[in-house]
Amino acid sequence: MATVEERVKAVTGRVLGIDPSEIKPEHSFTFDLGAESVQSVELVAAYEVEFKIEMDEDAALAVETVGSAVEFITRVCKEQNVPAEE
Amino acid sequence: MTMAAMDRTGSTSGQRQRSLESIFYPRSVAVCGVVPTPGTVPHDIFRNILDSGFTGTLYPVAPFKRSICSVRAYRYVIDIDDDVDLAVIVYPANVVHKAIRQCGEKGVRAVIVVSAGFREVGPTGAERERQIRDICDDYGIDMIGPNCLGVINTDPASCLNASFARKMPQAGRIAFLSQSGALCTAVLDYARDRAIGFSKFVSFGNKAGVSEVDLLHYLYEDDKTDVILLYLEEITDGRALAEAARRVTRGPKGKPILALKSGRTPQGAKAAASHTGSLAGQDAVADAIFRESGILRVDSIEQLFNAAVMYAYQPLPQGNRVAIVTNAGGPGVMATDAAIALGLEVPSFEQATSASLKASLPAAANIKDPVDVIGDARSDRYCAALAAVLDDPNVDQALVILTPQSMTDIEAIARGVIQVQQSATKAIACSFMGGADVAPGVHLLQRAHIPHFILPEWACRAMAEVQRIRKWRELPEDRPEALPVDRDAAAAIVDAAPAGYLPEDQALAVLAAYGLALPPFRLVRTPEEAVAFADQIGYPVVLRVVSPQIVHKTEVKGVALDLGDAAAVHDAFEGMMDHLADVRPGAEVSGVLVRGMIPHGHEVILGAQRDAAFGPVLMFGLGGVYVELFGDVTFALAPISRARAGRMIDGVKAGKLLRGLRGHPPADIAGVQESLMRLGQLMVDFERVAELDVNPLIARPVEAGGNMVADVYIRLDP
Repeated sequence: MATVEERVKAVTGRVLGIDPSEIKPEHSFTFDLGAESVQSVELVAAYEVEFKIEMDEDAALAVETVGSAVEFITRVCKEQNVPAEE
Repeated sequence: MTMAAMDRTGSTSGQRQRSLESIFYPRSVAVCGVVPTPGTVPHDIFRNILDSGFTGTLYPVAPFKRSICSVRAYRYVIDIDDDVDLAVIVYPANVVHKAIRQCGEKGVRAVIVVSAGFREVGPTGAERERQIRDICDDYGIDMIGPNCLGVINTDPASCLNASFARKMPQAGRIAFLSQSGALCTAVLDYARDRAIGFSKFVSFGNKAGVSEVDLLHYLYEDDKTDVILLYLEEITDGRALAEAARRVTRGPKGKPILALKSGRTPQGAKAAASHTGSLAGQDAVADAIFRESGILRVDSIEQLFNAAVMYAYQPLPQGNRVAIVTNAGGPGVMATDAAIALGLEVPSFEQATSASLKASLPAAANIKDPVDVIGDARSDRYCAALAAVLDDPNVDQALVILTPQSMTDIEAIARGVIQVQQSATKAIACSFMGGADVAPGVHLLQRAHIPHFILPEWACRAMAEVQRIRKWRELPEDRPEALPVDRDAAAAIVDAAPAGYLPEDQALAVLAAYGLALPPFRLVRTPEEAVAFADQIGYPVVLRVVSPQIVHKTEVKGVALDLGDAAAVHDAFEGMMDHLADVRPGAEVSGVLVRGMIPHGHEVILGAQRDAAFGPVLMFGLGGVYVELFGDVTFALAPISRARAGRMIDGVKAGKLLRGLRGHPPADIAGVQESLMRLGQLMVDFERVAELDVNPLIARPVEAGGNMVADVYIRLDP
């Protein structure tokens, strides 16, 4: 079963063109992973598709690190009754 | 805010000496946060540095990117295997602190934070700004920005365009400093159209680190800069700005500073209760202090560049005499009127000049200043007249006016003026009046760096300002002198008083301790005491109620004037108390002030307040009930020299009144000067004095007893 963190890293790696094994929870999307502003929007959309959830865009874009994204998505999954792990 | 607090929280200029060489002449630059997408700020700044021909080494910092624009990229600035002098930070605001901390660890000397999202967006951004400023201070990093366009240095020794301006401007002798980034791009475009070049171009944004004050000091020393243009939205440390401006404009290198300032703050004025406070909005104070610091303030970009071109490309006129050459009588007369009203001279020509003009112009032409070459004049007539007047020893500069008539060869006249200019040693300004028809000629003039003004009056104004600056630079250096005062006596009152308005008897005592002339006064509590004191000082006298709850005494009939005998004093005292008991039954009355009646004289106001940006500021003007009506006031930083006090008095209409109008003897002007100096000293000595009005000071001739304070109002901070 893939954890939320594994799924987030996989999506992040795919969108940013980075090997997921190089991504750590403490990484900042912009400072450490080099995400451009347009890629941040793409990431939010890709997480929504991956987890089958809908996120508040402003709140999602305010998330700074991979670890925070995991927490944010876990919370949204719970609120929307969607399984976070598969 | 006290001066001490301002030094801590306002300008950073006082914190340490900045060299700024790493900003303008870095040996290596890292752009931190570059992305590979053209058309984005992070990408284009990197591209601009690359394309500008930067003489140093350039490193892109772009996590997980192999290269940017074919240049090998680094994940972090600390990964660069070379020293880095300057980092340009283009990350989003929320991670800028991480980038600066790494720069500190790397030993980077300066950063330009282009990113927005700081103080300008509210409290969260302000906290971010404080955080990055603290990191810069910890590591000794000089920071430009945040929220700025960047920095350009056209010096071939650097060739640095670390900005997201579209094009590198051409090299020139003008430096441009701007708080607004957006204005910078417009200015660059405007300047390119007029072939104006820059030495340094700095958008300093929120000025969390390097301020305009630091930049002025740097540019004073910069051999590539002759003129400094400044666009300011807010003044953080006006005192440091004034000091820097004085050094830049009056030092041995003497460079003009031209400033466009916006951001007026009427809210501050509304909140103030005193006359001084209501008149001393920061803009009015800034205006006066700019003048006294040698900063030439202009109202538009057009004026800014015209004046800059005048300074940078035209010889500095050695006097105020202007020759006018026009093809239209009306505008010539208008220009003459404006010139004279602004303090310029329209001189008589030497005989040789008149002869030359007579020989080259038609008989109907006016060969006196303003020279009218007549409506059908073509370029030959203009050139002959202009060359003749510029040769005249009575002429310091010339103004060429043109109105487009059917036979006017506008472009040929412009070329002729340019040709005359090339061999002239005197300044020329032009006013080709009109729009579409004159545009090609105006364009030629502008590209040849001959200042052009749409209206002749504007040209005269610019010429007059040049004279003002010339005279300012010639003024002898003057320093405030300490006058003998009884500081201890004043401290005994001020230190013991609570925040708020000082009771009148105590305010008068403070002024007395600082040597201002006052009528005899005493606070009394009974009609009998009032009569006894009046008998002692002689009649007539004045009674004034003293109560912490009553600031405006006349509103409660708390003032009785011109009381000629004991009975009048007794009755007035009792009447005053009876009325107060009716209208202000709860008011706490300290007593009634009895003082001598001051004979008639000119009413002037001497004020002071503690300005958030400038610290203690003095005001002088026409006083009494006319203060706000006419607003005839001027300001200066306290403390003040005797000469500066004199210039304050001469700077307003009240000064003329004091010097004696229509046969009236002059008032004691030296006494007014000294009173201003003493009030300045008081403001510096006591930081708790928030504002102060001496209104009116009755100014009278020395032989009539000299000046006397009639009313005073002092408010103390906690």
